[in-house]
Amino acid sequence: MFLQQLLNGLTQGGTYALIAIGYTLIFGVLEIINMAHGEVFMIGAMVGYALVMLLGWGLVPALLGGMIGAALLGAVLEFTALRALRRKGVSNLAPLISTIGLGMVLQNLMIRFAGAEPLPFRVPLSSGVLKLGPLQATATQLVVLGVSLVLMILLQWTLSRTGLGRAVRAVSENAETAALLGVNVSGIVLATVMLASALGGAAGVLVGVSFVSVSAVMGLGYGLKGLAVIILGGLGNVSGAVAGGLLIGVLEAMTVAYGEAFSGYKDAVAFIFLFLILVVRPQGLFGQNAAVTRRS
Amino acid sequence: MSYYLQVATFICISGILGLSVYLVLSTGQLTLGNAGFMLLGGYTAGLLAIRLGWPIWLTVPAGGLLAAVVAVPLGAATLRLRGVYLAIATLGFTQSLVVIANNLTITGGALGLKDIPNLAARLQRFLRGVLAEAPLGLTMAQFANLLVLLISAALLGLAYWLIVRQGKSRVGRAFTAIRTDEVAASAMGINTTYYKVLAFAQGAFLAGVAGGMMAHLTYFIGPNDFGFSRAVEMLVFVVVGGTAVPAGPVLGAALLRALSEYLREAKDLRLIVYGGLMMLMVLVRPQGLLTPGMFAGWRRRLGLGPRRPAPGKGAGA
Repeated sequence: MFLQQLLNGLTQGGTYALIAIGYTLIFGVLEIINMAHGEVFMIGAMVGYALVMLLGWGLVPALLGGMIGAALLGAVLEFTALRALRRKGVSNLAPLISTIGLGMVLQNLMIRFAGAEPLPFRVPLSSGVLKLGPLQATATQLVVLGVSLVLMILLQWTLSRTGLGRAVRAVSENAETAALLGVNVSGIVLATVMLASALGGAAGVLVGVSFVSVSAVMGLGYGLKGLAVIILGGLGNVSGAVAGGLLIGVLEAMTVAYGEAFSGYKDAVAFIFLFLILVVRPQGLFGQNAAVTRRS
Repeated sequence: MSYYLQVATFICISGILGLSVYLVLSTGQLTLGNAGFMLLGGYTAGLLAIRLGWPIWLTVPAGGLLAAVVAVPLGAATLRLRGVYLAIATLGFTQSLVVIANNLTITGGALGLKDIPNLAARLQRFLRGVLAEAPLGLTMAQFANLLVLLISAALLGLAYWLIVRQGKSRVGRAFTAIRTDEVAASAMGINTTYYKVLAFAQGAFLAGVAGGMMAHLTYFIGPNDFGFSRAVEMLVFVVVGGTAVPAGPVLGAALLRALSEYLREAKDLRLIVYGGLMMLMVLVRPQGLLTPGMFAGWRRRLGLGPRRPAPGKGAGA
């Protein structure tokens, strides 16, 4: 029972982690929270839906399509809601407002286009169940967990081993110095926003696969979860986002499994932890940055 | 006729909501928690009226007070954090309250609170007992709606007057100092946490009162009336109307409420317009339509007030 819930929680947590990484990557290079990220996630899921249910494609092309669609949307986001503001050097609340606005536009455009009702999303996957002693893992669970882990490992590798990753880390550390050393900062920012969005899009497709449905309003709830996760893990900290995502996923699964009376409150679990963390350890569980109380 | 009176009434309530966000923004903080405080105020007022039979003139302030009382510890815990953290934490607060209201039995769960005593209906019943027929050639229902509008307008006017007064006082100068540069304000001996929590609690009180009024203006409130879209809507009022003068959010509320009545049939279209306006305003006119400089300019032209140049532009959003 416990191990089973742990597996269920980790599967869900993997998608939270992917979303949270998107927020944290963008925060790393730009020091802003992209409030439209939840809607980028939703659009990724919708692209996946269109490819599978309307064109009859398989899971892998749907996943890639969702990521590419989300990445392109990320580029739109960078050019419409972020770049112009950076050039004007306005207050740090401005990007928060403009990305909330963009998210609002995206969500409601999608509602106009596809309705607000959940749409069935059936991916041709084996209905087999893998039994390991008392543990039961469905093919869907294995795919979702596996893909999340692979993407996270790929990201970690990109960040630590490639030239692009080095440039991203340099810009996160200090954009001006990076520019002086010849890094094309605005190119790197664009690449980071697109990468973050692609991960969000992948998470969207995976969530659609595991719940067998997608909807135009799915972005809000998941976007909020992702925000709670990055606070838990520490802003700008990729490993923290991963750990925080898995932790929230497991805690939610346990709440539903062991506290049936509270199962309706599952969606509030993340926020209860968010408050506890903000009060006790505002830099996040894994953050070292003591300057969170400073105004940026 | 009654329809226009109701629209005007909701413009007044929206104005109060806009002011509640403005107050917090005037200390340089962005809150998305006032939808949550509105929920608290609305449910408190509704439940007190339904369960305990309290009169409306008591339930509405009680809702505001409860919201303010909750805001103090919440603000104290989150306001020492940077701007982004506050926005996220307050959004989490709003969303948690929506989840809770969706699950408790006393709040009616997802079905919400029904049969809340209606202010216009109460007034109408009272008037029938006192007057033979309504004055001004109106029907009794119209006259009751007119009174409701006047009450809402009076509440908005009172809130506006208090905020303008406060803005010229020691407290208002502290707010401006904190918004302009928090570190410098702190170095000048301003207790920044105290003033930020004060503004936060004041905003919560206004949002709670607006929520209570909302409960008594409609017969029904549900958890989803107070979620993310509501939080954003209040923010749009300020962003469009003006972030640095109290008249801004009131103007924003009036313009956008009127616009949304025009787009009444299509809720999603309205939200698309709101979202687009937010992006546009931040880019083109980050201080909103009304700015302090405009006010100073008009005053000089009319020969009122001090003959000195407008104070430096505030930080705005």
